[in-house]
Amino acid sequence: MSGYYTPEEAQDIFLKANEAYAREDYAAAKEGYEKLLANGQGGPDVLYNLGTTHLAQGDLGRAVLALEQARREGGQAPDLTANLAVARARQVDKVVGATAEDAFLPRVAAATDGPVVAWTFLGTWVAAFVLVLLWRLLGRGRRTAVGVLAVLLFAVAVPSGLLVATHAYVGATVHEAVVLAPTLVARELPQPGARSIFEVHAGLKVRLLEETGRFVRIRLPNGLEGWTEREGVAEI
Amino acid sequence: MRRTGSALGVVFAVFALLATAPAWAASDDLDFYQTADRTEVGTEDTFRLTVVVVDAPANAQVKLPESEDFSILSSSRSSQRSISLSGGGPAVIQDVTRHVLVMRANRAGRLKVPPSQITVRGKTYRTQPVELTVKAGRVGGAPPGQAGRGRDRQPDPFSSIQSQMQQMEEAFGDMAEVDRPTIPRGDSDLFLRASLDRDTVYVGEQVTLSLYIYSRVDLSSVDAVTMPKLEGFWTEEVESPTQLSGEQRVVDGIPYRAYLLRRRAIFPVKSGTLPITAAEADITTGFLFAGHRVHRVSNALKVKVKPLPPGGPQDMPNAHVGNWRLSMDVSQTRVELGQPVTVKVSLEGVGNVKNVTPPALKGPAALKIYDPTTTDKVSPQRHRVQGRRVMEYLVMPQRTGSFTLPALEFTYFDPRARKYEVARTDPVTITVEAGAGGASSIASASPQASSDQANEQKNVLTAGGLRPVRYQARFESPGVPVWKRGFFVPAVLAPLGLLLGVALIGGVRGRLALRTEAGRGRQQAKAARKRLADAEKLQSSADVGAFYGEVEKALHGFLEARLGMPVVGLTREVLAEKLTAAGADTERRAKVLFVLEACDFGRYGGGGNPAERQKVMDAAAAAMEGWA
Repeated sequence: MSGYYTPEEAQDIFLKANEAYAREDYAAAKEGYEKLLANGQGGPDVLYNLGTTHLAQGDLGRAVLALEQARREGGQAPDLTANLAVARARQVDKVVGATAEDAFLPRVAAATDGPVVAWTFLGTWVAAFVLVLLWRLLGRGRRTAVGVLAVLLFAVAVPSGLLVATHAYVGATVHEAVVLAPTLVARELPQPGARSIFEVHAGLKVRLLEETGRFVRIRLPNGLEGWTEREGVAEI
Repeated sequence: MRRTGSALGVVFAVFALLATAPAWAASDDLDFYQTADRTEVGTEDTFRLTVVVVDAPANAQVKLPESEDFSILSSSRSSQRSISLSGGGPAVIQDVTRHVLVMRANRAGRLKVPPSQITVRGKTYRTQPVELTVKAGRVGGAPPGQAGRGRDRQPDPFSSIQSQMQQMEEAFGDMAEVDRPTIPRGDSDLFLRASLDRDTVYVGEQVTLSLYIYSRVDLSSVDAVTMPKLEGFWTEEVESPTQLSGEQRVVDGIPYRAYLLRRRAIFPVKSGTLPITAAEADITTGFLFAGHRVHRVSNALKVKVKPLPPGGPQDMPNAHVGNWRLSMDVSQTRVELGQPVTVKVSLEGVGNVKNVTPPALKGPAALKIYDPTTTDKVSPQRHRVQGRRVMEYLVMPQRTGSFTLPALEFTYFDPRARKYEVARTDPVTITVEAGAGGASSIASASPQASSDQANEQKNVLTAGGLRPVRYQARFESPGVPVWKRGFFVPAVLAPLGLLLGVALIGGVRGRLALRTEAGRGRQQAKAARKRLADAEKLQSSADVGAFYGEVEKALHGFLEARLGMPVVGLTREVLAEKLTAAGADTERRAKVLFVLEACDFGRYGGGGNPAERQKVMDAAAAAMEGWA
């Protein structure tokens, strides 16, 4: 790994931040983790520790943000899931009502692991073409096994390729965010004086639909939508 | 506003006085004695001779001892009146007058201080002389006891005071400074006096501010007292009497009753000359309905505050001045995991107790130290603020093992020694053992003990709470999806491109081959072989002519490709010559001719036998095989 810090320096900063966390000096702990992240030497472990520190300090918004980022980068983990559950339990907002159905593609993307399908597609795709070339080179009697194997690989490569395309599409079009402000008013229109529809609080996960000026349109998990200040939310 | 006296109290005291007046007047039981504070002195030492008179009439005259063997360096006189009510009997009033002489022996030897005398109603009383051993030079040392008592059977009513005074002088040798008030003009009968025990101190060192009423008239009550503004000082109440209690004082030869109103310890928080404004009081004088209220203003004061000398810690608070002892008490040094340990860090001594900050307890990560609770116990003695500040920490072991709480240090400035001192504690080792429940402990426990253990508070472990931070990390740059990485798209497209490239190259090669004679020949030979493969499909059909016709065409096509000339219509001899010229061996020529003959025969009705067809087929394939 080549970065701003040498691996030894990064490890030292990380351990010192952990020690600060242990003695409940959360400000120092945050500073250490953020230093690593700012210099491109973060990763899911650093994000998890940063989120846990925010959570210990009571900063629910930033805690959920960092933990969700850790999950996005490193996938699920028991400790991550547990701390996210703690954060959700502390949230002020309770979203009630029927959960809005996501579109098909976002649901497919949520149900599958992006890196896994990407690597699967790439591997099977390349291997299948290698076998096709081999098939052409082989004589008539020895082509059958190679041909069958190539067909099987194509059978895996094509759907996994579609999944990769789905992930790419969802990544480009679906933007999830976390409310950072202690209280954030959602309005009917992207104007400061517009009628207030509802309020959300720190730690709530929302979806960003569109942006205009300093307002973004957010959607709650139950489908509730409103315009709110851009500064009050942070994209995961 | 608080009243410090009451009319009712005065009335009661007057009636008590009248009721006991006959007993007082008739009393001839006079106590009169003298004592010295040591039995052995040096010629360069001073000693104190105290002459005590108890219940002497006002007109009694005391003659203090005079001798050429001793010099009187100074003398003072004080009196105290006490009234005791007990057993329902009459009140007993006792007047005690004490004369203190500071003396020095003029020569060595066994000397006697002559007796003192008092004359009461014409009758003279004498004390016992006091015998002293005087040595040349300085003997020094504290007085061993009350030596040379004139009357051993009679307890000295001032002995405890003297003892306390001596202790005070030992502890605060530079403290005592006798206030010498000046009588203000116009208010000579009743005036307010503010005084300090010292006027030059260090920052953070205590100064005692006392506010007295000096009066030669009867006081009924003090209705209001306004204390001075004490800007630049941290203050602590030392004494605030709820009732007026006077003592006799002589100011410029005039006897006064001095009543203490307030006494405060003040601690300067900055250096420089700090002013103390005048105090004020509303005082009611007189008796019952004849009294009237007067307003009095005290004198203003100034305190010269010196900064702490250099050499101390840079960020040492000003309150860390005085004389302190630091200690650390641990409730237990061997504890089971999950059981808390109480650690008390105590700072005890003389100084600004409520403002001093004991050092914080620190320990290894295996011992979780919770925020402390602080308790103060202030117990002023001899007008000095002193006491104890205790910080009580709850320490919860996190794992088993032996862990050390490091030694603590507290740096302070000792104004008496005029230097910085450091109070220290020793480090404490705490051994944390695994929780109870081991086989040995259960086996040795009685049924009662088991029952007690069952009723003990359990270490409740509930789910929930934050999971700990991760101890190890894999440092990565912010994650980019695989499909967005630079290699992904080229890696996906590369196989397609490769396949297309191979196909393209094959096509190009085919086209190029057609353009040469040899290439054309190869193409024709290839087509001829393909035709022979098609003829194989007709081998088993009923149309014998079609089979042989197809074989003949295939062979003709092959021969034209190899010979580079049309062969249809050539005689067998000419064809054989052409084959020979083209390098075909005899066997190949024979097979060619055989196949052509067989095809001619088959097309006109012969060769229907399948075995024969197979033979022709094999011969045709053999003729084409291996002839590039």
